[in-house]
Amino acid sequence: MGPIVPLFEIPEELNLLIAFLIGLGFGFTLEQAGFSSSRKLAGMFYGYDITVLKVFFTAAITGMLGLLFLNYFGLIDMSLVYLNEYYMTSAIIGGIIMGAGFIIGGFCPGTSVCAAAIGKIDAMYFIGGGLVGIFLFGETYTWWEKLYNANYLGMVKLSDSIGVSDGILALIVIVAAVMMFWIGEMAEKKFKREDISNEI
Amino acid sequence: MKSKYKGMNARMILSAIIVCFGMVAAILPQKQNSSVQLDAQQLLYEIQLKNHVVSVDEMADAIINNDPYYQLIDLRSPEEFAAYNLPGSLNIPFDKLFTPEWAPYIDQVARKNVFYSNGSTLANEAWMLTRQKGMKNNYILEGGLNNWISTILTPTAPESTVGDEAINSFQARLGARQYFSGEGAASASSANNAPRKPVPAKKKTKVAGGCS
Amino acid sequence: MKTKGNTYMNPYLAGFLLGLVLLASFYLTGRGLGASGAVKSVVVSSVATVAEGHAMSSPFYSKYLEGDQKPMKAWLVLEVFGVLIGGFISGAVSGRLNFKLEKSPKITNKKRIMMALIGGALFGFGSQLGRGCTSGAALTGMAVMSLAGYVTMMAIFGTAFALAYFFRKNWI
Repeated sequence: MGPIVPLFEIPEELNLLIAFLIGLGFGFTLEQAGFSSSRKLAGMFYGYDITVLKVFFTAAITGMLGLLFLNYFGLIDMSLVYLNEYYMTSAIIGGIIMGAGFIIGGFCPGTSVCAAAIGKIDAMYFIGGGLVGIFLFGETYTWWEKLYNANYLGMVKLSDSIGVSDGILALIVIVAAVMMFWIGEMAEKKFKREDISNEI
Repeated sequence: MKSKYKGMNARMILSAIIVCFGMVAAILPQKQNSSVQLDAQQLLYEIQLKNHVVSVDEMADAIINNDPYYQLIDLRSPEEFAAYNLPGSLNIPFDKLFTPEWAPYIDQVARKNVFYSNGSTLANEAWMLTRQKGMKNNYILEGGLNNWISTILTPTAPESTVGDEAINSFQARLGARQYFSGEGAASASSANNAPRKPVPAKKKTKVAGGCS
Repeated sequence: MKTKGNTYMNPYLAGFLLGLVLLASFYLTGRGLGASGAVKSVVVSSVATVAEGHAMSSPFYSKYLEGDQKPMKAWLVLEVFGVLIGGFISGAVSGRLNFKLEKSPKITNKKRIMMALIGGALFGFGSQLGRGCTSGAALTGMAVMSLAGYVTMMAIFGTAFALAYFFRKNWI
């Protein structure tokens, strides 16, 4: 039964090797999908390229369904899988700040590392900015501490908070994603930008 | 035109497949696996293996050698315990097994706990309960005190036709008997009775995750 | 090739593969993917090296320095190192390795660099407040169906859509 590392007392070195290999797969697929291009990422918000939506939701659905089936067949102990803690205020405000960073900078931390790896100079500056941003947060932490810890609601699952089973939530997310894919592909035709698509 | 139609078709099929997966997921009953609790099948298998049984000879040997790895646990009532107990044993009455005071002694990793009572029923039940909860390092004394008395304290000589092994174990039992009924018995039981601090088993911990 | 742009993997296939990587991470380690945590580790260890006393007295840095936690050896750092190498391999395989500053022709290089720095700083700051970035909070959080994951995802993408109009010159 999984997860393997916390259950079977895997040595730290092997755990770090696993981390490296998972990162390798993560970076490879991100780059193959085109997440190493800021204009491709930004295309999501102008409709000319919705790769972000397609990749992001397909990955989330694959992971979600995979976990559901692993759990159903008794292959994973979900109580040992990390569930993000929900601090309502900081999740929303942090998300808003990240959204602004996304549209201004054109990357998110994962994609910027991947883009810097193939030589994108804007991504390297983005990482530099990220270091500064985290440093600023660390230095001014006491100002935000209250906000950071406000409205703690615990490790809540969306399915529990809206009162449906995990499987039904998965179905809802899938139907929503399929509809978004269709709308998005129509948008890609409507807002087509040959000039940009040829460049990225 | 034809290629466009084909593209539409593939999209329809893929959408249908993924929605079907979602429907299957929605129909499946929700369940919670626990990596810690053993299911009945696994428990049955372990009972049949009999790896959880410590023979009285092994135990006698451990007591004589003052082996710190073994921790005898008497499951009987304090009165019974006071009347008679094995040297170095700790009294945890059966109904107090999972109380905060004693739970750390049965859910630990440093020692081999050996449960005993008069017969073997109580020890067996205690072992099953702890094993079901996923605890390790608990064992039972084969046959309990009754077996201990009949085998170690009043050994009977084997028939002369049996092999060397039985003769040897009889010799060992004779030695053990001398130890437990002679001078050594008193000193051993008084010296070892203070409970040693347990080393708690690793708790089932949440893994760190996310980006924080 | 130059006029037709780069050929990338089919996005749905790429998403499926990314989902499998995510699933492997859950099955093997019980945690999903992450990125901003590694950047934080770099910041924390740099601060601790330059000014140890300051780092230990700060409630933020000391959280990650207590006990025998070594931030640079942490899981996420190795994972992000893997992202770097994995991205490089992919770029090499598909012939995309070259130094390039990507931007809309309407803005200068200097402006793009400023924007990347500001965007990065905002993302870095936000990821600390929001306890994770697009990978750690949104993607991973969505796969485990955590409320935090969905809320963070909607806040990120909602804000980016809402602000898209004001920054259109940067991109189109």
